[in-house]
Amino acid sequence: MSREIANPFKRMMAIRGIGQVLTVTIGLIVLYVVFGFMNPVFFSSRNISNLLRQIAPILLIGIGQSYVLITGNIDLSIGSVVGMSCMISATMMTKGANPWVAVVVTLICCLGLGLANGLLVSLAKLPPFIATLGTMTIARGIAQIANNNYNTDSIGEAAQGFRDFFYYGKSFGLYNTIWIAAALWLLFNFILMRTRSGRHIYAIGSNVEAARLSGVNVISATTKAYMVSAFVSGVVGLITTATSGMGAMDAGNGYELNAVAASVIGGVSTLGGQGLLFGTVIGASIWGVLQNGLQFAGAPVAIRNIVIGIIVVVSVLLDVIVRSGKVSRKKRIVSAT
Amino acid sequence: MNEREYSVEMHNITKVFPGVHALDDVSFTLRPGEVMALLGENGAGKSTLMKILSGVYTRDSGEIHIFGKPIEGDLTPRKAQALGVSMIHQELNMCAHLTVAENIFLGSELVKGNLLNDKEMHRQAKEVLDSLQIDIQPEQVVGSLAVSKQQMVEIAKALQAKSRILIMDEPTSALTSVEITQLFTLIKKLRDTGCSIVYISHRLEELQYIVDRVTIMRDGKFIIEQPFKELPLNKIISFMVGREIKEKFPRVPVNKGKLALSIRNLQAGRMVKDVSLDLYQGEILGIAGLMGAGRTEMTRALFGVDHKDSGEVEIEGVPVKITCPEDAIAAGLVLVPEDRKRDGLCVKLSVRENIALPNLDIICNKAGVINRSIERTMVKKAISDLKVKLPTSEVNASSLSGGNQQKVVVGKWLARDSKVVIFDEPTRGIDVAAKVEIYNLMNELKQNGISVMFVSSEMPEILGVSDRILVMCDGRVTGELDRSVATQENIMEYATQFENKLNDQN
Repeated sequence: MSREIANPFKRMMAIRGIGQVLTVTIGLIVLYVVFGFMNPVFFSSRNISNLLRQIAPILLIGIGQSYVLITGNIDLSIGSVVGMSCMISATMMTKGANPWVAVVVTLICCLGLGLANGLLVSLAKLPPFIATLGTMTIARGIAQIANNNYNTDSIGEAAQGFRDFFYYGKSFGLYNTIWIAAALWLLFNFILMRTRSGRHIYAIGSNVEAARLSGVNVISATTKAYMVSAFVSGVVGLITTATSGMGAMDAGNGYELNAVAASVIGGVSTLGGQGLLFGTVIGASIWGVLQNGLQFAGAPVAIRNIVIGIIVVVSVLLDVIVRSGKVSRKKRIVSAT
Repeated sequence: MNEREYSVEMHNITKVFPGVHALDDVSFTLRPGEVMALLGENGAGKSTLMKILSGVYTRDSGEIHIFGKPIEGDLTPRKAQALGVSMIHQELNMCAHLTVAENIFLGSELVKGNLLNDKEMHRQAKEVLDSLQIDIQPEQVVGSLAVSKQQMVEIAKALQAKSRILIMDEPTSALTSVEITQLFTLIKKLRDTGCSIVYISHRLEELQYIVDRVTIMRDGKFIIEQPFKELPLNKIISFMVGREIKEKFPRVPVNKGKLALSIRNLQAGRMVKDVSLDLYQGEILGIAGLMGAGRTEMTRALFGVDHKDSGEVEIEGVPVKITCPEDAIAAGLVLVPEDRKRDGLCVKLSVRENIALPNLDIICNKAGVINRSIERTMVKKAISDLKVKLPTSEVNASSLSGGNQQKVVVGKWLARDSKVVIFDEPTRGIDVAAKVEIYNLMNELKQNGISVMFVSSEMPEILGVSDRILVMCDGRVTGELDRSVATQENIMEYATQFENKLNDQN
């Protein structure tokens, strides 16, 4: 317990787990170089551009899951919210709505679901696993009901601007998807690191009782985190619609776990209180490089899944081991009334 | 009363928790620039009173004045803080992942526009820490600090919030002697700047270094308030424990038999230090002490739940190695744990299943199939032996009264031939009639030549039932008393005999 860190460098490394993030960054570089030497096409600018576009949605949902994990909770509804967003936006567009109106309505629906998640967990005090498992099913149901249990037709010519904005267009040499992800990352990283809400999100994940006794509004901070998660999931749903040009009811299936993977590989603790969105970038990139690299190496999907699954389990295991040794020997509550 | 005279006045405070009258018409006053010791046994209501003052609990009735201002309605931690009251809780309340500065400003962050003003927060945190002459940097992560330093951070946090009334609940329990000296220096400095400090502690020998006045509570009632100098330690102890013992306890004379259990130099973690004891057949050995004295930890280590660092255990003269509860049970040593709902019973299973659970080795055949008829006989015998009142043995354990639940816990152990039965706080939270049944049960065991170890925080019952009493403090055995000489006072004296960490001070 009484391990004091005198060295200023080490002291900095301890803040929010910066040390872990740097470790996985090195891992990412090694991984990338290894795949590149196996197949030089991997290094081509065309592939890099594609790779980044592949990573962008994972980074976005990773940001959402990281927010929620840092508060010490989890969001299992992410994948279904992606599906819900995809179906609502596509249905509206096929029915002739202006694509940008559809975007706004869709995102409002997603924020509503995030609000529900947040209140169920913080106000009604449901276990986050159960609460978001419930809303996950509800959101998938909404995705199915949106177009009477059918995938939609093509969203058509009128939506070309929408499709370019979210997926096909390029600005300054990079796909727009990448810019969207980068912009939202900057925004949410800023909120997390530099605002009071962000500070409270870390505090309740670290010690909810201490935060409460210090006057932190736990309900509001938790709900904000869930709403961020639902918002970025909604954006990913829009990207999915733009990509395929239609609405698919099973869009985003399993994404919640990809989001957990991006977060925990990047050093966000599943136990709350610790993690950096910079780590989430690295986590999402490792996910993308593995998918992309293993594909180049000719590995079937099944092998890719197994490799990523193992890496996730090992990351969480390392976190649990490091934590149990360091932070809390189980506090005995000795009430000396 | 002069407004300026008191920083805190609490009058006629009452607080009832379900089943417990925690505070009964308690009054309390505090002056600026003094250290007030708030003393009493476990359960006397000290922490409850202070949690009301700091807004963690709400009072049922009574008046509170802070700096002469009457408090209308309920306090919240936030309101109390705004009025200048801060409590340093015994279990430190810090966010371990956040830095020192972040913790100090948690809930009252400084902002410039909508942005956190980290620079200013670091500067002010540094200022507070420097003014306290604490060698901690604002950007250090709190989880990496020693407990004593974390405590300093809490104090710094209170001061940053401009608190003038500081409540410290057992602040020295986790500190080393050097750290205690530092803390005392700090407390004196705060006192000299006009802060009021409430100091809750069981370590009576520390009081002389810092305390100005003493308030003593007992059983939720105010007993006395006096300047510390006018109150010698033995007086303090007798005020703390001075209740009359009215209840009658059943006691059965039994001749002490052979040595049943002998423990030598048992060492387990921080809470069990070099414990040695002997327990004879047909004897009830009471284990007394304050909460946190290491009694429960000792029984858990003995029973093999927690890891033992060293020490020997002999049962009836035969050395036994106990590394898990199965070993203990096989050796005839069983534990009736402190928290029967959590550790003692599977409350959602039936009484029959609960009694059968630790005895499945007897009930099952070699293939592991339960022999229903042996089970039925065993359960029936256990229930009738203990006179548990039940419609049928199929009812859930959760549906029983506390006393009957306790009997079921005992019954499951007596269904096999156990030699030593350890009871950890067996009468907590059960009514008087059920308590008497538990005492009778222990007496019956004693008459049958079984050895009983009886851990309890309630002195009257320890005095009333035990044949011999061992007192623990801070993980060590500090005294042994025969029942003929044991009194509440001498038990309390042993129970507060902490290792003197401060003998090098004036």
